[in-house]
Amino acid sequence: MRYDSITEAIGNTPLVRIDPAVHGLRHIDLYAKLELLNPFGSVKDRAAWNMARPHLSGAAEEGGQVVELSSGNTAKALAVLAGMHGLTLKSVTNRMRIPEIKDLLLLLGAEIEELPGQSECLDPTATDDPLTLFHRTLSEPDSTYLHTDQYFNPRNTEAHFTGTGPEIVKDLDGRAPDWFIACVGTAGSSTGVARALREHDPAVRVAGLVAAKSDFIPGIRTIDEAHEVGLFDPATYDTIESVSADEAIEGMLTLNRRCGILAGPTGGAAYFGAVRQLRVADQELADEEPAERQSAVFIVCDRVESYLSYVRQRRPDLFGRPRRKNSPADLSDAEIRTAPAIGVADAQAWIATGEPLVVDLRSPYAYAALHIDGSVNIVDELFEELLHGGLPFSRNRPVLLACPVGEKSARYAALLTRMGHPDVRSLTGGVIAWRDAGAPLVRD
Amino acid sequence: MGGQPLYLEPRLESRLRSLLHSTQLLHTLTDALGSPLNVVVPDQLADNIRQFRSVYGTRHLSGQIYFAHKANRSSALLRRLAATDAGVDVASLEELQHALGAGLTPDRITATGPKNPEFLWLAARTSVAVSLDTRGELEQLATLVRKHALPRSRVLLRLSGFEASGVRVLSRRSRFGTPVSELEPLLEAVERHADVVDLVGVAYHLDTTSLTEKATALEGCLRVLEECRSRGLRPRAVDIGGGFGVNYLAHGGQWDRYTTELTEAVLGTRPPLTYGGHGYGLRNEAGTLRGTLGLYPAHRPVAGARYLDELLAHPAASLGGRPLAALLLEHLYDLHTEPGRALLDQCGLTLTKVLEVRETEAGGPLLVRLAAKADDVALEEHGVFMDPVVVPRDPAGAGAGTRAGVGAGADAGTEPVAVHLFGSLCLESDLITRRTVFLPRRPEPGDLLAFANTAGYCMDFHATRAQHQPSARKVAAWQEGDTWRWCLDDQYWPTTPVGGAL
Ligand SMILES: Cc1ncc(COP(=O)(O)O)c(C=O)c1O
Repeated sequence: MRYDSITEAIGNTPLVRIDPAVHGLRHIDLYAKLELLNPFGSVKDRAAWNMARPHLSGAAEEGGQVVELSSGNTAKALAVLAGMHGLTLKSVTNRMRIPEIKDLLLLLGAEIEELPGQSECLDPTATDDPLTLFHRTLSEPDSTYLHTDQYFNPRNTEAHFTGTGPEIVKDLDGRAPDWFIACVGTAGSSTGVARALREHDPAVRVAGLVAAKSDFIPGIRTIDEAHEVGLFDPATYDTIESVSADEAIEGMLTLNRRCGILAGPTGGAAYFGAVRQLRVADQELADEEPAERQSAVFIVCDRVESYLSYVRQRRPDLFGRPRRKNSPADLSDAEIRTAPAIGVADAQAWIATGEPLVVDLRSPYAYAALHIDGSVNIVDELFEELLHGGLPFSRNRPVLLACPVGEKSARYAALLTRMGHPDVRSLTGGVIAWRDAGAPLVRD
Repeated sequence: MGGQPLYLEPRLESRLRSLLHSTQLLHTLTDALGSPLNVVVPDQLADNIRQFRSVYGTRHLSGQIYFAHKANRSSALLRRLAATDAGVDVASLEELQHALGAGLTPDRITATGPKNPEFLWLAARTSVAVSLDTRGELEQLATLVRKHALPRSRVLLRLSGFEASGVRVLSRRSRFGTPVSELEPLLEAVERHADVVDLVGVAYHLDTTSLTEKATALEGCLRVLEECRSRGLRPRAVDIGGGFGVNYLAHGGQWDRYTTELTEAVLGTRPPLTYGGHGYGLRNEAGTLRGTLGLYPAHRPVAGARYLDELLAHPAASLGGRPLAALLLEHLYDLHTEPGRALLDQCGLTLTKVLEVRETEAGGPLLVRLAAKADDVALEEHGVFMDPVVVPRDPAGAGAGTRAGVGAGADAGTEPVAVHLFGSLCLESDLITRRTVFLPRRPEPGDLLAFANTAGYCMDFHATRAQHQPSARKVAAWQEGDTWRWCLDDQYWPTTPVGGAL
């Protein structure tokens, strides 16, 4: 496979059969259309390329900028395509809640503008919400913006009508599947594919999946939000079902762990929604004599790697690491309560005569601003790391630990004592007590 | 009626629930004092302050909670506040006088908002901390202090226009505060007037429900404070304003269902849900939904003290990723907050009497006329959707139907109804709400409709005396054992609840 440009690698993605042992359907073959294998990582590569292609060189001549309202994948593809043509992308969004994608876009040279949150004190007469202002600048007469307009642009749907859909038919030996299941974001992929499949076989059943209203699944809209999409027509779908974030992650884990498909949450939602839908159909087929065999296709939109923080927030259990030695979490309350401690006045005297090593456990920024003269700064997270390996200082050197209120330092004083340090103390009341007692703090 | 009734039951915690069950008392009150009538529940304010305090407590933060007075004019609430350890944020000369008169000492008051010379003078005279919006205000204050030989004034600099690193956050322009980009000349002025003003900290108040915008601002404040320290100033506080929000509804599911159906009504795929097809900011353009829904997110799982807690847990990306609370603590800063709405959560309700219940020829929603004007119950003005609770005149007739929306179900013959609520002004626009409201049973003239949880901004913030119609009177109510007691709002003092005996 030799290409002259990366854009030639867009499309022609594999259609992979899901092992029946995983999904448990007896009469339906379930296939995943692996859009995650597009060169920029998602199903949006197709739409972005199809929408931007006719205008890119013109825009480059005018010195314009590509603009889109996108929370992620479309912006990612457009940022690359714009960059290849000497342009930049500006993405305006209120939905960019995935930090990794935001960082990746910045790395690709995109400019991101986020819409503000809703007002606490509503002004019902306000007309100039930021999105309206944005559209107004786009339509100014001398505007040189190339607005791809993914929610309204028919070339978004067309990319799937001419690409994704026919590829599925080809890989199913010229037949349309009995079922097609897809998540609804811009509605471009579901609408385009559905149209292509129905041209082959009007009986194809199409299920659209939306996010449950109180949930957030990146890239998918809720049913209310779908109504804001120009390409969305409820008549395209035989059913519209909602999927929760937990279900999407559950589906994603199955694809990741049992199928070797490194899908993101939308792929997971599509898989989950597909199996839920098909289980009913499978049962009906089983009741028929003789049982007919059917096929179903769902779309895996993108990859898991960008969603680690999203998953961590919802499923911290998936990231549990084994416990380590010498951790403050192992201490009992009694140990912490009886940890050696010293009050401010005594500490001042001790520093003058006993020369303890004063360790300030606060963040470097706080330490730099104000600290006890002569102290060293080891931020608590780092200190905890150090202790896993053993005592970080000599037993012969007395140590005074300081934190904001004397709580963290008490833990570490208890831990160091347990680890065999003979003379470590926690500053009672912490740096705040120190300040309140009028003891000197310096910045050097 | 067009399908299932779409209830939006108010969230009622135990005090308001109990008060709403006191049907006889509520009717006695409105019979004596008229409709509409505002009832405030001062003890709830103290509970809400405790909830905020506990967030400070678990994070070891010190600093003051300043109740934003503008949210309600009540003397009872302010005097009850004076009996706690919290403070008050005042935004006018009159509010400052009110606060001083209620027993709040100057160390527990902070002056914010646009200031006229009298306000500024009284604040400086009494040594109330002043949150300065502009450099001009700083100059004005310095001049006043010198000219009238007032004590050195404690000031905070209210800032705006914080920039996030990496991405640009578009924001509605704020009229308040000095943009951080103009910090340099502001700090120079502070230094120049060091003999008459003492910089105690910086402040912001952002009108947004977004946690990330507020986190960005707080992070920005930490950087500004560091800049102050590097200049040799000694600030020690950040005031993060208010805007912690309230969760108005009992059930998230009702809210989700309602807003979906409202969307569909705008698109024409279900019967209308509003008077005259009003879309609350949404419109139908060729089958696609356009515009933005101008509603308060009435069901908000994260509001009030919990919102503050989440904000404090937010990592500060540009400062090593530690939570904001840890940074505040480590930098030895006090945290000040100015909750208005959130501190008044569950602190009061508005009672209105049903004057007339009329059927329309077309069999549409009933027209219910109330003895109140739209501006007496400003839920609509603030985009808050919440059903009123029917408090029947004759409790035997329908049970003490105070479980909003569902009624007590004691009376089997009662049917849910759809109604439109009108006020008593002879204006087409005097609709208490433009939405169709569903009630668990048909109200009768003489019944009360109680609007719950109106104490924050929705009670007297907009009230006028148009057409010589009186605006609502106000009473304070409290519990002694199982019994609800009451007095006129301005008769209430924290000593009152013990029966007047000191
Ligand atoms: C300076 C200031 N502080 C506090 C508040 C109170 O905000 P909320 O009632 O949303 O908590 C406001 C409201 O406008 C304000 O302007």
